[in-house]
Amino acid sequence: MTNQIDFEAEIHRLLIEHEQIAEQGITVHHRENVVVLSGEVESTHRRDEICRQISSHFPGVAITCDIGITRAQAPSEVEEIS
Amino acid sequence: MIRIAAVGDVHVDKDVVGRYRPALEQLPDRADALLVAGDLTRHGTVDEAKCFATEFGGLGVPVVVVLGNHDHQSDQEQQVTEVLTDSGITVLECSATVLEIRGHRLGIAGAKGFGGGFAGACASNFGEREMKQFVGTTEEISARLGEALRSVRCDALVALTHYSPVPDTLVGEPLEIYAFLGCYQLGNAVDSAPTALALHGHAHHGSERGRTPGGVPVRNVAHPVIKQAYNVYQLLSESVDAPLVPA
Repeated sequence: MTNQIDFEAEIHRLLIEHEQIAEQGITVHHRENVVVLSGEVESTHRRDEICRQISSHFPGVAITCDIGITRAQAPSEVEEIS
Repeated sequence: MIRIAAVGDVHVDKDVVGRYRPALEQLPDRADALLVAGDLTRHGTVDEAKCFATEFGGLGVPVVVVLGNHDHQSDQEQQVTEVLTDSGITVLECSATVLEIRGHRLGIAGAKGFGGGFAGACASNFGEREMKQFVGTTEEISARLGEALRSVRCDALVALTHYSPVPDTLVGEPLEIYAFLGCYQLGNAVDSAPTALALHGHAHHGSERGRTPGGVPVRNVAHPVIKQAYNVYQLLSESVDAPLVPA
């Protein structure tokens, strides 16, 4: 169990500290045989780079990527603050 | 009536330029100003700051920002600030500005803020030098934000930070990292002035709405939370339920 937690922590730090990634908002869950990534990033390039870097640093680890691209459409509503 | 658009954590680099622009081009029809709650860039480089200025500058409405922790990553926050300022973007750091909007004075006081935690689970200015420096930074930034807020004479006052002033808008984040996402001292600063609205980012998995202990509305406008290019908030309303885009 400790190894699993350490492994998740290592991936989490890689996602934040790696120069090509720098993502603090990605959730990492290490299931039995797979690492599940979730959260949102600003581009498909960033999502693909995350998977590429994890595969490169942890060869042999299966990755399931549920990372989405945050939508950037204009709003249709206004909130009145009172 | 004043309408302000707000977003945070847009993390602009070359790969993002152009993504926001179609929505931003519509912004002048929807709001009187745009406030950005930090993490404008990925690593806080000059090149990334230029990308942000390209994407978020020249909108036809005032743009007011604070920096976030990502914008400090390369230790170039001064150069980043200069790039933004040269592009006509107002950068606040424990400082304030006033915008004249249709006869109203909109005051905005801003600071990056810092971590430290919240009541019952906060760090203390005690022990190792490193710990005292950490909490000392929290206290100093919060005190200076409070001074900036109290210095403004305006019709509507907005506090703009990157870190959160309340735990309410962190719900969804792991409890263990709340202390790295904000601090109660920022909430005290917000409550020390007649603040109408407090905006922050940083908590990508957090919640949108909260209130300070003094009752000031708080909104987490981190992009992954609002899930659109920006939110629009209406202050000094003369009538309720006004349409976002006039017919």
